Amino acid sequence: MSLIVSLAAGAQNGVHAIAPSLASADNPIADFSDTPWWLSLIKALLVFVFLLINTLLVIWFERRVIGRMQQRPGPNRTGPFGLLQTLADGLKLAFKEDLTPKNADKVVFLLAPMIAGAMAFISFSIIPMGPVVSMFGHRTPLQLTDTPVAVLLVLAVAGVGVYGIIMAGWSSGSTYPLLGGLRSTAQVISYEIAMGLSLVAVFLYSGSMSTSQIVASQKSLWFIIPAFFSFLVYVVTMVGETNRLPFDLAEGEGELTGGFHTEYSSMKFAMFFLGEYVNMFTVSALATTMFLGGWQAPPGIAAINDGMFNQGWWGLLWFVIKLWSFMFFFVWLRGSLPRVRYDQFMRFGWKFLIPVTLLWVVSVAFIRGAQLAFFGESTRTATVIVVGVISLIALAAAWLWEGQHEAAAVPAERPEEIDPFAGGYPVPPMPGQRLREPSQQAERSLAGSTGHPELSDQEESRG
Amino acid sequence: MIASLSGLTTEFVATKINYGAVLPMLVVFGAAMIGVLVEAFAPRAVRYGAQVGVALVGLVAAFMAVVLAVGHQGSTLAGAVVIDGPALFLQGTILALSVLSVLAMAERFDGIGADAFTAQGAAAPGSPQESAAVRAGATTTEVFPLTMFAIGGMLLFPAAGDLLTMFVALEVLSLPLYILSGLASRRRLLSQEASLKYFLLGAFSSAFFLFGAALLFGYSGSMDLGVIAKAIGTQSGMDGLLVPGVLLVLVGLLFKIGAVPFHSWTPDVYQGAPTPVTGFMAACTKVAAFGAILRFVYVGVGDSRWDWAPALWAVAILTMVVGAVLSITQTDVKRLLAYSSIAHAGFVLTGLLAFDRVGVSSVMFYVVAYGFSTIAAFAIVSLVRDGGSEATHLSQWAGLGRTHPIVAGAFAFLLLAFAGIPLTSGFTAKFAVFSAAIGHGATPLAVVGVLASAIAAFVYVRVIVLMYFTESGGDSVRVVPPSILTSAAVTIGVAMTLVLGVVPAPLLDLASRSALFLR
Amino acid sequence: MTNPYVPLLFLAACGVGFAVVSVLGLSFVGPRRYNRAKVDAYECGIEPTPQALGGGKVPVKYYLTAMLFIIFDIESVFLYPFAVAFSKLGLFALVEMVLFILTVFVAYAYVWRRGGLEWD
Repeated sequence: MSLIVSLAAGAQNGVHAIAPSLASADNPIADFSDTPWWLSLIKALLVFVFLLINTLLVIWFERRVIGRMQQRPGPNRTGPFGLLQTLADGLKLAFKEDLTPKNADKVVFLLAPMIAGAMAFISFSIIPMGPVVSMFGHRTPLQLTDTPVAVLLVLAVAGVGVYGIIMAGWSSGSTYPLLGGLRSTAQVISYEIAMGLSLVAVFLYSGSMSTSQIVASQKSLWFIIPAFFSFLVYVVTMVGETNRLPFDLAEGEGELTGGFHTEYSSMKFAMFFLGEYVNMFTVSALATTMFLGGWQAPPGIAAINDGMFNQGWWGLLWFVIKLWSFMFFFVWLRGSLPRVRYDQFMRFGWKFLIPVTLLWVVSVAFIRGAQLAFFGESTRTATVIVVGVISLIALAAAWLWEGQHEAAAVPAERPEEIDPFAGGYPVPPMPGQRLREPSQQAERSLAGSTGHPELSDQEESRG
Repeated sequence: MIASLSGLTTEFVATKINYGAVLPMLVVFGAAMIGVLVEAFAPRAVRYGAQVGVALVGLVAAFMAVVLAVGHQGSTLAGAVVIDGPALFLQGTILALSVLSVLAMAERFDGIGADAFTAQGAAAPGSPQESAAVRAGATTTEVFPLTMFAIGGMLLFPAAGDLLTMFVALEVLSLPLYILSGLASRRRLLSQEASLKYFLLGAFSSAFFLFGAALLFGYSGSMDLGVIAKAIGTQSGMDGLLVPGVLLVLVGLLFKIGAVPFHSWTPDVYQGAPTPVTGFMAACTKVAAFGAILRFVYVGVGDSRWDWAPALWAVAILTMVVGAVLSITQTDVKRLLAYSSIAHAGFVLTGLLAFDRVGVSSVMFYVVAYGFSTIAAFAIVSLVRDGGSEATHLSQWAGLGRTHPIVAGAFAFLLLAFAGIPLTSGFTAKFAVFSAAIGHGATPLAVVGVLASAIAAFVYVRVIVLMYFTESGGDSVRVVPPSILTSAAVTIGVAMTLVLGVVPAPLLDLASRSALFLR
Repeated sequence: MTNPYVPLLFLAACGVGFAVVSVLGLSFVGPRRYNRAKVDAYECGIEPTPQALGGGKVPVKYYLTAMLFIIFDIESVFLYPFAVAFSKLGLFALVEMVLFILTVFVAYAYVWRRGGLEWD
């Protein structure tokens, strides 16, 4: 992953070198020239506090919403509506004993939660939360900073964040954390590929990796429309990236206790917990920026009164609304879906998401090429033709795939009656199957009318 | 690369690609990719045939492309690839030698897969998985695409116009070789050890190369060899970057040719690797690496040679002496040939240190002559068996001249060529490099070279004596009758050794005509 | 503000400071009562194994995942500049990129067919 970071740095050098020559289309549009350093510091603190408060809120929100979904009230005792529940939990964690297992690698064990906690915050600095506003007498965008490679920076920081997980798992000196850490790392890096590829379509449309530029280029049309498939892929991968249900295999309680943070307690555990929730905000904010027009008002409202609602602090409102709808989506998923199996999860990532996203990227490149008159001057005709050809190919592929599936899905022969102990351990019957009662079977074998000689053998050996 | 980016003007200009010039590489890489697809989709039964066919057709087609590329010479891909006389000569050489190597690798005697390679490289030696793979009839046909990728890297190596391309080529040719060395079907542990050693030391040398390239970039502000050469003429006061940079890059390159003191991997890897792969490494890797050294030294940093040539002199002398002396003590044929190849690398360096066009042509002639002989020699080694495994201990070769006169005769002839006896290609080649050295102020090197040759000749003659005038120790050692593939490889190798010894003039002419680098 | 990375460092400093203070500083707040069982590795109530699986070594399978990740991540790193500069590059770059993706697909097909993408 450090390789990727260094690559990112290299790409950045390259982009800087090109920048003066290739006009400024891929440079940030946000203007920070009127932002003195102390204002940046204040903005950094504000972003930090924003994230902390949102985390406190979202944990309460999650428990309340899930409670409603499960027909129970959720936490409602601490403060109004139970709002202070998370704060109370956090304080309680601080007053718990801080354990370090005796097998642990002390330094790494200490370092891991710090990395996981600290790295989560950094990415948020390039998220545009609103247009230019007036702050302490200076005109400054509601965004901490922006670079020509801003989105790449998010991915790079996410890569560094994985170190927290793998170091935690390895340094605990215990079996469950090791397995959980590895699983989690494999999962995060596998889905990071599909995530990175899904963003290529957005870059093709925006012509920039700078977040402010991406938001600006969605003025007329949010990228969720032309890049709808990328959006779907991104939404799936962002759940995989943040280790949330239904993809929270790393901490599947039934299999791995707590996963990589099994051995952590007190504030060290709180850091992982915090990191996970801040990461949820980061990926949601990135989704908002990349696909939902960032801080811009929804199309209908944007037209009111000459774009009044797209000015100043209004942007922050739209941004927060979009951000929190993603948070609700996360909670909704958790409330309604069961956990997937690890092999199914990895198969989905590697054998479906990656190739299909790559094909999607190629298709978008061709559509963009047609729009940019690569295939002749009549861009409209060319676009229609390209879209038509791509749709035809997609339909044909879907048809073939379906046919294959139908051929493969010949219903397996299912006996009417099963012996629940045939494999040595109890198996529940499939729908429509009858259980063979052990007592009946014993009777049958006593009577000498054996349907399955080997089954009755097993019976005897068990009995 | 970064420099070329900042050199862009207002519009992006797509780099002009001279497809005719890079066609040989495209063909080889294309064949390698087809090989990968064959490996993925073809049923197991047809893989061997398909892979050998794809590889041979690809190599022959690439050779024809090299011939066609003579009319397309020039610098292309924004200076990253330079196709000029030496590049084309060496590419042709690599492809011709590769055909022989692939023929030798494809030898399967009466088995189902290539004989020299294990059924499953990933299985631990002696493990149940390994025997299961053998029972299931698994074959490692991946060796052919791997070889093709290595050949592709070798084609790019002597044609690299900047240090980054050179580094990419170095890695492309090295990585498949690391894997290939670990796939021997017999003595698996030795083979895996060889692979790991080669990989670790290779990684070290790559790091040296990169470090040197970074220093040279700091010195000249460019990775391009031409720009570095210009900077040497104009830049002053930065020698602290230049000389260490040159030396570090040379370390990376000298590692690949196995020059002393960067030779320590050679005997172990040559011994452990599958024998046909050893032949391939000894011949083709050397050709490519010498091509790269020639380009780096002659095109890039030749003007500053007074600063670092003494180091290269020392390396050349050490290589010749150590290679020759240590080969005396060897008791294993493959190790003996490994030390012999080290000594030969020293002889070639002598020609290189002439710093003249004659030096280039003599080096190019030498690597052709040595390449043909060494592939044939290793192919013969793979035929001499003792109960299924290769009989590589020298004592097992005793009396081979009486039991198998033809094979022993061919091997003896090749040894004479290594020794540099007249009427073999070895003599012509040695004469060419030593006369180039003497003609351009490197006489001491030539003297050392002749002395080292004499020492080495003793070793070769000792082996010949062993084969013809010693009673055989046991009668379990025998020569497996080769199929047409190995026979062809050995025959062509021996024939070329003879032809280049008797009528070397056409190739010498070709070498000296194509010895001019495009700067 | 001339350097866009300076504000980034401000936020990073906030994050790092918070993490360090809470982990190092607050660890003194909690109680400390030694108990041998507490510092053992957690294993659902049974006697813990003295060392984690394989002495803390990572199963080799995961290296394969890591290698595949690097291959595809590099691919997307190459795709990014291409996508950003797409409108200036023209048809040539589009064709080149399709060829590049096809090349990676060859390796992908090989890995898939050879079972490199199977998990158990």
